[in-house]
Amino acid sequence: MLRLPSFQLEEPKSLYAALVLLAEAKGEAMVIAGGTDLLPNLKHGLFAPKLLVSLARIEGFVGIEEEPDGALLVGPMTPLARVAESELVQAKAPALAQAASLVAGPQLRTQGTLGGNVMLDTRCQWYNQTHFWRQSLGYCLKKDGTACHVVQGGKKCVAAASNDTAPALMTLGATLRFERLNEKRELPIKSLWSPDGIWNKRCDKDELLTAIRIPAQDPGHRGAYGKLRTRESIDFPLLGLAARLTLDHEGRVQDAEISGVALAARPSPVRGVADVLRGTLPGTAEFDEAVEAAAQLAYKQLRPLDNVPGSAWYRREMVPVLARRTLQAAAKGEGPVHPL
Amino acid sequence: MRVLQLEINGDAREVAAHDHWTLLEVLRYSLGLVGSKQGCDKGDCGSCTVLFDGKPVLSCLTLAASAVGHQVTTIEGLAPKPTGTLQPVLDPVQVAFNDCGALQCGFCQPGMMLSARALLNTNAEPSREEIHQALSGNLCRCTGYTQIVQAVETAVARIAQGDGASASNDGAAGHSPPDGGVPA
Amino acid sequence: MSARDQHGLAAPHGEFQIIGKPQRKIDGAAKATGSALYTDDLTLPGMLHAKTLRSPHPHARIVSIDTSAAQALPGVHGVITGKDLPTPYGVIPWTPDETALAVDKVRFIGDEVAAVAAVDEDTALRALELIQVEYEVLHSYQDPKEALERDEPTIHQNKRGDNVSKRVKLDFGEVDQAFETSPVVIKGDYSFHGSTHAAIEPHCALAQVDGDGLLTLWSATQITHYVHRALSSVLDLAPHRIRVIQPAIGGAFGGKSDPFSLEFCVAKLAQITGRPVKMLWTREEVFYAHRGRHPMEMQYSLAANEDGKIQGVDARILIDGGSYSSFGLVTTYYSGQLLTGPYDFPTYRFDSTRVFTNKPPCGPKRGHGSVQPRFAFEVQLDELAEKLSIDPIELRRRNSLGPQTKTVNGQRITSCGFDECLLQVEEASDWKNKRQSLGSGKGVGVAGSMYITGTNYPIYPNEMPQAGIQIKVDRSGVVTVFSGANDIGQGSSSMVAYVVAEELGLTLDMLRVVAADTDLCPVDLGAYSSRVTFMVGNAAIDASRKLRKLVVGSLAKHWDVEERRVRLVKGEALDLEDPERHMTMAEAFQIAEVEHDTLGATGSYNTPTLGGDYRGGSIGASPAYSFSAHVVEVEVDEETGRIDVQEVWCAHDCGKALNPILVSGQIEGSVYMGIAEALYEHHQTNRFGLHSGPSLLDYPLATTLDTPEIKSLIVESNDPEGPYGAKEAGEGPLHSAIPALSNAIFDAVGIRLRHLPFTPDVVLRALREKRANDNQAPSPGSDA
Repeated sequence: MLRLPSFQLEEPKSLYAALVLLAEAKGEAMVIAGGTDLLPNLKHGLFAPKLLVSLARIEGFVGIEEEPDGALLVGPMTPLARVAESELVQAKAPALAQAASLVAGPQLRTQGTLGGNVMLDTRCQWYNQTHFWRQSLGYCLKKDGTACHVVQGGKKCVAAASNDTAPALMTLGATLRFERLNEKRELPIKSLWSPDGIWNKRCDKDELLTAIRIPAQDPGHRGAYGKLRTRESIDFPLLGLAARLTLDHEGRVQDAEISGVALAARPSPVRGVADVLRGTLPGTAEFDEAVEAAAQLAYKQLRPLDNVPGSAWYRREMVPVLARRTLQAAAKGEGPVHPL
Repeated sequence: MRVLQLEINGDAREVAAHDHWTLLEVLRYSLGLVGSKQGCDKGDCGSCTVLFDGKPVLSCLTLAASAVGHQVTTIEGLAPKPTGTLQPVLDPVQVAFNDCGALQCGFCQPGMMLSARALLNTNAEPSREEIHQALSGNLCRCTGYTQIVQAVETAVARIAQGDGASASNDGAAGHSPPDGGVPA
Repeated sequence: MSARDQHGLAAPHGEFQIIGKPQRKIDGAAKATGSALYTDDLTLPGMLHAKTLRSPHPHARIVSIDTSAAQALPGVHGVITGKDLPTPYGVIPWTPDETALAVDKVRFIGDEVAAVAAVDEDTALRALELIQVEYEVLHSYQDPKEALERDEPTIHQNKRGDNVSKRVKLDFGEVDQAFETSPVVIKGDYSFHGSTHAAIEPHCALAQVDGDGLLTLWSATQITHYVHRALSSVLDLAPHRIRVIQPAIGGAFGGKSDPFSLEFCVAKLAQITGRPVKMLWTREEVFYAHRGRHPMEMQYSLAANEDGKIQGVDARILIDGGSYSSFGLVTTYYSGQLLTGPYDFPTYRFDSTRVFTNKPPCGPKRGHGSVQPRFAFEVQLDELAEKLSIDPIELRRRNSLGPQTKTVNGQRITSCGFDECLLQVEEASDWKNKRQSLGSGKGVGVAGSMYITGTNYPIYPNEMPQAGIQIKVDRSGVVTVFSGANDIGQGSSSMVAYVVAEELGLTLDMLRVVAADTDLCPVDLGAYSSRVTFMVGNAAIDASRKLRKLVVGSLAKHWDVEERRVRLVKGEALDLEDPERHMTMAEAFQIAEVEHDTLGATGSYNTPTLGGDYRGGSIGASPAYSFSAHVVEVEVDEETGRIDVQEVWCAHDCGKALNPILVSGQIEGSVYMGIAEALYEHHQTNRFGLHSGPSLLDYPLATTLDTPEIKSLIVESNDPEGPYGAKEAGEGPLHSAIPALSNAIFDAVGIRLRHLPFTPDVVLRALREKRANDNQAPSPGSDA
């Protein structure tokens, strides 16, 4: 069988012990959460860590709690299946529940975690392959090589952020808590991303994601997630869009937001969506026209690259369709939009 | 190498394993539990599905060490423990898979049956759509899934009637066919 | 054909006891409990693990190989390269162009170069990294058209000095005249993409050499006999010193019907090291081994009368063979020879050319060689129906060939239930109310097809039986049947048990079947060409009836009654006219053993002389043909191009369903596989000549959620020569699923998809093109 490289595994029971191990390893360690992304990547020879620090046995890392102010605090090791099935998440953060329900297939949602999905490595058809395969084309910019096969002549890796939950969390205004030894910080998820496909996060590799906080949403919050993929199960997104509408007491749109994933290195919000939707009443022609305008904004701004398999042209053509359907689903309290 | 204390199919097992060995390797090559299959190497096919505390996981993407402290069920542990009767007793899921023609090459089916069992553990009356969802991480290349879904539905009906755990294979002709399992 | 080969349709006495009724498989309980042993489940004491070094270049000359560092690595026990196994082989004896490991050239990325046996896989992999290979890179061919036009460099040497693997051009009747005189002519270009079997079990082989030098190979193969012969040749070892065993196998579909590199490598490494050696391929390696569906570019012309009656068919086909011949000689014939039913072609011509390219080698995938032309032709028939405004089912009916006839290319048709297949799908699908009337985006399509039930071409010419059965009887009542057939999940060993139990009046728990072991079982040619039920079933009847005659004769003497009064039924022997007189089969066998000594029987099957009287006329000549018709119902999302296949009805004429559960399983599996390859799968190389995604993530197999409702409808035409009338069911029902899908899409949204696969991007482009042509307003974003 395809072999894992040799490494040492530590399974600390406390956060502190994990932070110590990571600090001691001085960059030679990697963190393993559910392992559903890291282990295939290790089998592909994409990393060769001396040490894996497992988060599986850290106390308090699993769970979904409602804070007094109505915010949700989700432990990073909470399985995606649990996020998807949580009535609390379904009620307060529907886009996140929907996105989590569409990650991979049933077994991988049992194993995969929300923290792991947020911290997912970027993906590319030229990168997520075995060592033999990558060697046969002379490697690529992201790993072991100097050439980009997506953008020929490109100097910047454009491997795709492929985490379904990222755009959902962005539309929910989530913040992420990171820790390393003697250092804590909280970062809005929207500020996490950098445009570098090799490492698309503005955090260091020895920083540990310790919690995902979803602030209390307005009573008029509506959210949905839509996903394009080849099959109805197992596959990573070819395009993922989360939509949020905030309705006022009359039911008119007060605020709105769309974020997309599986485009380029980082998940991307669409600018100007609130402006075109504000004041419209879902269910009216006026709202439908505004949704169409928002979909066209998405079409102009979100440009999938030939990084993940399949036609980039097609993925782009699906941007306005998915945007429209996801916004409409959010307005109706429905979703997920899947299959497209 | 370290010695892992695992609980597999209700048995306490000690096994020496490298940190980079997967649970699938340890099951198949160290413990001789070869019913769990390897089809894709890396989490794409579901053939290596085992239950972790009753929930389906892929043993090819599970480090052996991380199984410590969990109750692992493989296909070898799906049937109830023998009760001393001479007639072998299987899980209703196994019986129904056998009756409905769901076992063609049989290679993906240990994982498939475990996914089906996990579904029935939490949902005694799944709809066809729920069956499709629950089995959507297990690829089968032989059956077109039709007889597999029929088998799960047959198991559900038989459990509801209290007669699912019939003998494994009496070998006799003319056992009662599953509803809908035989075309007109 | 001798008398042994025809046994009639009837049950031994009156009603069938087992045949035709739903039964469990004899290995069902083992598979349900996980105790069935597949090749990689086997472990032998002292076993080594082997891995293969592969070429990173699509086409290169090997300048040098240095294995010394690998040899020196602790834990390594054997390293071999092409010079250790230089004898070429090929499943077709006329085209031996493969070697176990590359001797002087590599021909695709993934071609095997060296193999290492070591104490474990990790050590073997480290050793591979230490092997130094110097390559001289050559121009590589990825486009079959370029391979057809360009001769230098050649991928294989041949007398012509070109890259043509095989060309077959055959004419039947006055084709040109038919086209000149017919009022309707339709011409079109069609193409079929590559797809692969993707059996869930990866290939695996284990070899052991005992103290006397006797070699045993366990392998996930569907052709034990041909592997036996190839091993003997390549290892230069007498065949009686080799035993080949097929353990339980995790799917095959044609993907395990060549001798493969790993089988020779583990055998050689076991010889060298004196220890058992196992090799298990990774999923990636299975994709490189391939042997899947050939991509074909097909030009079809169809001449017809105004009433839709076909007058002539003219085809020109370019076949992309990949890097080796495999079954390619047969593929090239099949691409033309198998199209001549279920419709009457007064005249027919095809000109098929298979070329080599530097890609993983193509071979026989379920519906070998004929799924692609069937797609093109059945779509073209739909175009004819459209042009003449004839209901597509009616058009097919008008052209139906019928039973007891001969095709234009000389194939003998015996039973034919095609008209019944059409009728059944028409009624079950509510066709008449659905066609052209389902409303926006929804439609139905139909197609028909025909497939062989084995062929009288036995790969290597010989007059011996194509299938054999031996039965051994024990005094305990146990009957052991030795069958050479490869049970690849289709249930051939169960089929043998059903037949023998029926004939000898046994219950299934009294039977054991030992299969696919060259030391123990008579020769069977293998699980390919849909030959097993027909040929092995007949051999089983043959053997059983010989044995029954002995037992019944002895009992008649014992009871002093006429033989007609003796019945063997449900595990007992009885006297029909004296209810007091009965005994167990064990007792009956003992009485027969007293008279005849040790009891047993053999049975065989061979095809009659078949086929047209011309070169290649026997290729595709089958003792019986199966027939299928499909109706597919789809809904097309016109905004996204996604196709939702709602339901598929497949009526299949299998002659006689020996076990209807297994026949339904074959139909459903075939429909699934056809629809899935049309919608999701694409086995292809990228601009580097590298497989575009050799994994089950990048090569997406349909899940439960992607598979339509499938309704299988069994049609029984009772073939006069099949066992109880049975024909094949494993491959035929794939064919017409794909053109029926294309035709349904046309009914739904008016686009004619002539090129596979039907991925959403392809469909969307076609929809937009149609809208542009219809002068409708462009949709959002269509300016991109």
